[in-house]
Amino acid sequence: MKFKHVSGAGVFVFGATMLVAVTAVLVSRSPQLASSVAPTPVPHSVKRAVVYTNPPARLIPEGKALFAEDCETCHGPQAQGSSRAPNLQGLGAATVDFWVSTGRMPLADPTEQAFVKSPVLNRTQQLAVSAYVASLAPGGPAIPSVNLGATNISRGESLFAEDCAACHTITGVGDALANNVYAPSLYPATPTQIAEAIRTGPGNMPRFGPGTLSNQEVGDIVRYVTYLQHPNDRGGLGLGHVGPVAEGFVAILIGLGSLLVAGYWIGGRAG
Amino acid sequence: MSTLEERAAQAAGFADERLGVARFTRKSLNKIFPDHWSFMLGEIALYSFVVLIFTGVFLTLFFVPSSQQVIYHGSYAPLRGQRMSEAYASTLNISFNVRAGLVMRQIHHWAADVFIAAIVVHLLRIFFTGAFRKPRELNWVIGTTLLILAIVNGFIGYSLPDDLISGTGIRIAFSILLSIPVIGSYLAFFIFGSNFPGTSIIPRFYILHVLILPALIAALIGAHLAIMWHQKHTQYPGPGRTERNVVGIAFWPAYALQAGGFFFITAAVLAALGGLVQINPIWLYGPYVPYKVSYAVQPDWYMGWLDGALRLMPSWEAVFGPTIGGHMIPNVFFPAVLLPGVTFGLLFAWPWIESAVTRDRSEHNLCDRPRERPIRTSVGVGVLMFYIVLFLASATDVLANTFETSLNLVLWTLRVLLFVLPVLSGFVTYLLVREIEHLPAVGVPKTAVEIRRTVDGKFELAGLAPGGAAEEEITELPEEAARAKSGLGLPTEAEGGAVQLRQEGGLL
Repeated sequence: MKFKHVSGAGVFVFGATMLVAVTAVLVSRSPQLASSVAPTPVPHSVKRAVVYTNPPARLIPEGKALFAEDCETCHGPQAQGSSRAPNLQGLGAATVDFWVSTGRMPLADPTEQAFVKSPVLNRTQQLAVSAYVASLAPGGPAIPSVNLGATNISRGESLFAEDCAACHTITGVGDALANNVYAPSLYPATPTQIAEAIRTGPGNMPRFGPGTLSNQEVGDIVRYVTYLQHPNDRGGLGLGHVGPVAEGFVAILIGLGSLLVAGYWIGGRAG
Repeated sequence: MSTLEERAAQAAGFADERLGVARFTRKSLNKIFPDHWSFMLGEIALYSFVVLIFTGVFLTLFFVPSSQQVIYHGSYAPLRGQRMSEAYASTLNISFNVRAGLVMRQIHHWAADVFIAAIVVHLLRIFFTGAFRKPRELNWVIGTTLLILAIVNGFIGYSLPDDLISGTGIRIAFSILLSIPVIGSYLAFFIFGSNFPGTSIIPRFYILHVLILPALIAALIGAHLAIMWHQKHTQYPGPGRTERNVVGIAFWPAYALQAGGFFFITAAVLAALGGLVQINPIWLYGPYVPYKVSYAVQPDWYMGWLDGALRLMPSWEAVFGPTIGGHMIPNVFFPAVLLPGVTFGLLFAWPWIESAVTRDRSEHNLCDRPRERPIRTSVGVGVLMFYIVLFLASATDVLANTFETSLNLVLWTLRVLLFVLPVLSGFVTYLLVREIEHLPAVGVPKTAVEIRRTVDGKFELAGLAPGGAAEEEITELPEEAARAKSGLGLPTEAEGGAVQLRQEGGLL
């Protein structure tokens, strides 16, 4: 009850003084630590890590035309699905945006896993198709945008190792799974596409809904994946981050190989 | 004041009068080593081991072998605030904060990879030239033991950082121990001190890695070299070379300088790899947590054949006794325990297996040419191919991803190749080796050929002996040239132009 008597300005001054004091202690103890901690200051207003927005409704007519042109043959005139392709109604804008913005849709070859290629539609057209499909039925997430400044990279690493590395590998380079299925490399993905994939579960990937991962956690994972796209490659050539297979070939072919050449050079040859 | 030479002579005299070292030293310095590049493969292993010791000592100053969980507050932001073992935290510290820590870690790791690769290539040279035959069977056994110890110590060293990938490797090792019939669970709990993961394995691995196994390896390398010194090195057949002599270069100065130079070349290559090429970036793997796992986990290359065998093995299980209540042997046992047991058992026994087949009990100091022994060579190639396929099988996922094909296709292809390729390659080798026997000029050194243009515009080959080069005898052996270069001049005891230095009797 004491706090009732303290004015708002007083709380602010007290808080600010404590913040400066704590920071000063940190700086004096470990300049390196303090300087690297500093980029995440206490935000003025609580920023949300992920914000979902539907594309503007004015794009719906354009999206309808584009859908008729590029999608309808398989997904049907009302996106209700056919024997060739699934029903898209109620999946939301994020699903459609992921598939068309990564170039996976329209499909290159319906008999194999959709792969990343340069998108057939431009950004406005992608949003238009997403807006049109989202307008057909309610449900599904809107297009997420990630505020990387409000995320925690270390929590992202932990969640990535727990939920993503089992298929995409711990470095995010992707790999072949059973049969013809593969987990694609995460290196070309944009933050929005990563969040869309987590929330909508494209293809064989499981969907991580709000009951599994909070928006903050999705943002944390996105932050770590964007880090993996340009990781700290201390120590030299990264060898594609595929691990011991590449290292073994370098050790045997370049390491031992160059030593064999050197031995042949300085050693005797004729029998 | 006496000069440096005089003081050195005084010191040498002091040692000789008390220990009698002059005779030994003189004999050692004049010891003859055959000079051939293929005799230097074991040296690569030896020098890599020296580099491993030096870099390893540096790493022990900063590594903390403890499974104690701590909260990381170091300089690598993506892991800050996470719980991890002190082993992993201190490896991060070595990689990011210890001056030259990362380059030392990387040189250490590259040196380990090259160390074992050199041992394997050295073993292949010994095998294909028959240098394991009497009287060198014991050194063959010591060498094979060294290979096993090197592989085990490599695996243990790889496991020490306690990162997500190596922790998965320890998990697999625990399961392999469990798969051993009857004693498996007791053995696993004895080694780990508890169920997996427990808190004992990192400190136990540490003392094995930095003390017990290196001491064993160093002692066996000493024995390996001492026996080689005592028995003298094998040599390839050639003019003036017999079973009873050694033709080559003297230990001092020619051989010692060549070997010393090769040490620095080895150290330079390892340092260049350590400085330029990343190996095992443990910070990208995160700390080991038993419920987390990464796809595409492979061991270092020398464990690849075992990992590959695990991948190729179908899920067969053997049950002894009644189906329910009988003793079940899990399928892990066959590729991970039985296969290495048979592999190293056959390797150890090979000198005796071969002499039993050939009934050859005599001493051999001259190496075989691989083409002279078609059966041994083709068996060796076939068996080697078996292990190469197993080795490739540890990268099934990487191969499938790289060539954009199905993992199952790669798996089944390798399963078939595992049996087809050894037979095929062995058979083709046998045919090729037999074919060589019929070629006229095999093994005869090539002579220089000069193309001359005559005044009327024709070309003709000068210095080419028609029908092979048999007439062009080598007048000067390379070791003769080396000896001349080393400033010692030609020894007087020459026979038919060949340098020949007899060494008789044992040294010790």
